[in-house]
Amino acid sequence: MNIELFIANRSPVWQQLEDALLKAENSADAMSHDEVQALVQLYRRACSDLNLARSYTANPDLLARLNQLTGRAYRFVYRAGHEKPVMPAFVKLITAEIPAVFRRQRLIVALAAAAFILGTLTGAAAIVIDPANGQRIIPPEFFTESPRERVARLESNDERIDTMEKAMTFGASLYTHNIQVTFLAFSLGALTIIGGIWLLFYNGVLLGAVAAMYVLDGVPMFFFAWVGPHGALELPSIIFGGAAGIIAGRALLMPGDLTRGASMRRVLPAVWRIMIATAITLVFAGLIEGSFSQFTSNTFPYPLKIAVAILLFSALMAYLFARRLDET
Amino acid sequence: MSELTVTTPEHVEIRLEPAGAGSRFLAVLIDFIIIAGITMTIGRLSGLLLPSAFGNAITITAGFLLTWGWHVWFEVKGQGRTPGKRALSLRVVDARGLPLSVHQALVRNIVRVVDFMPAFYGVAAISSMADPLRRRLGDIVAGTLVIREPKTVAYRGELAAERRFNSLRTPRAMRLIRHRIGLEERELLLAVCLRAEKMSPVARYDLMEEIAASYRERLDIDDEGVSGENFVRDLTSVLFAPSVLPSKHTVPGPK
Repeated sequence: MNIELFIANRSPVWQQLEDALLKAENSADAMSHDEVQALVQLYRRACSDLNLARSYTANPDLLARLNQLTGRAYRFVYRAGHEKPVMPAFVKLITAEIPAVFRRQRLIVALAAAAFILGTLTGAAAIVIDPANGQRIIPPEFFTESPRERVARLESNDERIDTMEKAMTFGASLYTHNIQVTFLAFSLGALTIIGGIWLLFYNGVLLGAVAAMYVLDGVPMFFFAWVGPHGALELPSIIFGGAAGIIAGRALLMPGDLTRGASMRRVLPAVWRIMIATAITLVFAGLIEGSFSQFTSNTFPYPLKIAVAILLFSALMAYLFARRLDET
Repeated sequence: MSELTVTTPEHVEIRLEPAGAGSRFLAVLIDFIIIAGITMTIGRLSGLLLPSAFGNAITITAGFLLTWGWHVWFEVKGQGRTPGKRALSLRVVDARGLPLSVHQALVRNIVRVVDFMPAFYGVAAISSMADPLRRRLGDIVAGTLVIREPKTVAYRGELAAERRFNSLRTPRAMRLIRHRIGLEERELLLAVCLRAEKMSPVARYDLMEEIAASYRERLDIDDEGVSGENFVRDLTSVLFAPSVLPSKHTVPGPK
């Protein structure tokens, strides 16, 4: 075969394909039916040209160009299998798929929760045994005043626990911070399993220690009303992030008969659904944390805030774990 | 370095070349600079227009959304290319050479947190050096890889058509060329002709003269009147079209 003539004859076709691809990659939605048809035709010709060129020449530039063009066109022509209409898929994801994943993975979620609760109990026990442990567990900037003094000051002065200004920035940074803690719990879990469990345990210890300090100092209502409303969503989110990590980690580290890749692909749908649920809950938690959580008893009585916390928590649990009517 | 071979439903093999750690780091650096720039602009504007607490909250939220959303958005909506990757001719594809699905983009960017540790993608660098497909941990978990898609030379096969007045198309020269130049050299000469467009003029001139001189010596051809580049192109066109060309390319003979 005369490769020179082959190139001379086919290069207009390749150029057409390249132009069509540029258009397709920049604005696929604006393409007409005929344009898409034409692109598929050009792609098929490029495929056979690539095979021919491979048989008759080893020229790296020519093969690279044809290979790249064919690859780009292939990506465009066969991408359809990946794409679904977004809104119906999203609705189905929220109403059916996410709860189903949580119920199927309830043992691992329970394991993650157990690690966190165990941490909480450990933290609380450490404070009950010796209140001086508090300074070893919790960063020193929390010790400017005792919980009781703090509550007294807050309840007498201002109607918000943090001022509007501080609460806004505090809330925003907290929920970005908490999303990062959740992602870290996921990533550590996915890579080491035990790392994720440890992070959950450690966060539990911190919470348990702070809670015990407020309870021992005689202001339990204040604490639960302060942390409860957003904690009811936020703490489960961290646990879910850790659980998703453990699921991924188990597939990666203990693939059994499968290859690691195949094992990963098998659990991936469950993992990312849990992570989406986690991210959404965290954003809600952040919103509550920036506003409702910051009011003292001067605005909302503590029992009301605690009741809201319990309500939020039950709603989340019911959404994720309650059996649906259409299920058996 | 190994490459990934994908067989299309048409039974054509497409070869994907994994991108190395260096270019990927540069791409991420470009993205980071853009994100930081946008966040700072938003910070300045909201600082001017809104009370400071509100402004801070908006800036932090915007920074957060950009940091986490930027890569996911462009990898799904921009055919696997963030602006940084586009600048360095990189593209993220899945293991079958197809575009990323949303969940693959989410997963590979969530694991970015780990890849970044302990600082500046330390884990990712080690992982991509150890993996034959140069994947970082996020890629391995999500089943994706980053490929190189360099700008290729658009060559139109004009050699045969252009070289109408080819002084090498004499029986003696053509016989010598066929006997003394092998297949591999033929490909090499074609590659030189294809790449000539991309060279700087000085380098192009020097290289062509050097190649021409060496072949003039080997083939015992003395036509100093032809420039080095023209000699190389003549030679290449004879190599690829040694026999009589079809009618549209034939040289009009003396009448």
